[in-house]
Amino acid sequence: MSTYKHRYEARDDGLRFQDLVYQGNFKGMPPVPDGILGDKIMRSRAKSKVLEKVSKEDVLRDQFTLDELNDLNNYLAWNIWDVLVMRATEGVSGMIPRQEYEILAFMQEFYRWPEVLQMTTDEIGAKGVMEIGASARREIGTKVNCVHDWCIGAVGFGMGRCGLLALEAIQPRDFVRESNTILKFMQRVLWGKRQDGYILNSQDRYRCQIHENDVIEKLGREIEHLEHGSEAHDAFVRFNAAAELLSFLDHYDCRLGLGDTGPYQLADGRIMIIRDLFTNEDVYDWSDVCEHEKVPHCYSLCLVIDPEKMGLDEIRVNDISTTFTRPKNYIEYIVGGAVFVREKWDTPMGEVYQVKVADLDKRLEGIQQATLKLYSKFSRMPRRTLIENGMYVYYIDMILPHLRLAGTYEKACKDYEFWEIDQRVANYYYDIVKRGFAQATVPQKIFSGEGYLPFPDNVSLNRSKYFWK
Amino acid sequence: MTFIAEGYNSFDTKKTPSGVIKYLPDPKSVLTLIQSGKLKEHILLVQGGTTTFLAPALSMGAIGVITMSGAPESHLGILSREFQMPCVMSAYLVGSDSRYVTGGDNEAHFTGLIKALDGKNARLHCEDRETGRVALFS
Repeated sequence: MSTYKHRYEARDDGLRFQDLVYQGNFKGMPPVPDGILGDKIMRSRAKSKVLEKVSKEDVLRDQFTLDELNDLNNYLAWNIWDVLVMRATEGVSGMIPRQEYEILAFMQEFYRWPEVLQMTTDEIGAKGVMEIGASARREIGTKVNCVHDWCIGAVGFGMGRCGLLALEAIQPRDFVRESNTILKFMQRVLWGKRQDGYILNSQDRYRCQIHENDVIEKLGREIEHLEHGSEAHDAFVRFNAAAELLSFLDHYDCRLGLGDTGPYQLADGRIMIIRDLFTNEDVYDWSDVCEHEKVPHCYSLCLVIDPEKMGLDEIRVNDISTTFTRPKNYIEYIVGGAVFVREKWDTPMGEVYQVKVADLDKRLEGIQQATLKLYSKFSRMPRRTLIENGMYVYYIDMILPHLRLAGTYEKACKDYEFWEIDQRVANYYYDIVKRGFAQATVPQKIFSGEGYLPFPDNVSLNRSKYFWK
Repeated sequence: MTFIAEGYNSFDTKKTPSGVIKYLPDPKSVLTLIQSGKLKEHILLVQGGTTTFLAPALSMGAIGVITMSGAPESHLGILSREFQMPCVMSAYLVGSDSRYVTGGDNEAHFTGLIKALDGKNARLHCEDRETGRVALFS
């Protein structure tokens, strides 16, 4: 018997998914746990109302107050810890130097994104940015999703500023104006997508139920029944895993390849997760092997889970678009599924087509071949190339979907040299390998929450940084 | 049954894969194992909890993995669940105080694990919700 619906009752504090606790900027106060209880505590410590449901007018306003900036900084720091602290135990890849590319990307984003995001806002207006978020409500196979939208603020602002503070390249009073630009862009996209006043899934008990009802109903009509132990069930599970693996690999072992939404409650009591697996991102030159194997931009899977059979106690679709459950193994309790194909990022929804489960194995071969070829390609790349490519995956891909929809991607490339690496960041390449900066210092600052220093009292909201020493 | 090592269980399963533990130090060793056609005879021992390093092995049907770092929330933890391939993560030797430390100097910890596990016949037990275990047999 399931108990997961209790998690949606106001008085419920949710389960703990980990033993660790968070301190952040709240020294001397009780530590904060993960999950629903952690969200409640963090919001209770906010000085402003920015973490509660906010109105469209609030979101359209161009300027956050200092309290709002600091509340967002603190909340994002906890949220990053909540979703990533356990992942961060994974150590070195043996293949891709991820910590190195991540840190360089964080800093590059903090330096370079503000002017690109401001230019985009100038081009399409604040409402236009909100409409980018709203577009995700009627689409599948779109990268305007939790992880990308969250990354704008959590990674570009939060981790970027944190990394530069740790490197002592900036001070807490610097780049206030640019921080506002990044966070406003994030808030507008996320608010437009959710349209319930919240911006993050953690504020809504880890639900990301963004799709319109008619979209869910239409997809639901295509679900094929899958019996555990049947060949069809095995084929569906095999396909989901293989496509997810390729989507991670194509995105340099990062979560940008995966996008879950849900859980959507179905009429028969079951729940559905909609999962986008971005198996071929044509902006990357290495993705040519996926093109050769005729792997599409995205496979979108509907996974129908029986919560009663599973005895589901809690389900989280977290802010990096990933589903975790207790008990952990929901795969055995998949009782229905459907697979859809979006060939290119801009393929109209009307041209998205379904692949029947019986035909998935023909597609699986292309995925496996692309995986092997991509691996062989990466294994021959020098370390520096791997780091540079990984940095591009973060820095470009995290805002690529928004620029594409805004129609400003080409302008960003041409007029703002979007694909250029900032000279300061290029120089940091040598600094980050010294004294364990990439492997130990920055991860410690990021995942303990210690590094997200607040903006000081009375700092000017217009403050940037014009002096380098 | 005596367990030699344990760690985080990436997901609970009744599957109990067995084989000779094989330590894979680099991408070349991964490709060599796949090309040998003996992938399914081995439990794979790897240092990291990321997916890219083991990508082709996962894709080609690896039966079980032991990692020396990482957790179920790591990419390899997520993917092992999706593939329904048992995976014991951040393994440590039973009876030893040595543990993986994020960002720390783990060289001695890794060396100890490799020495104790590589080349041994082993079976993974992952029915517990939280802890995955490694048993040796002759």
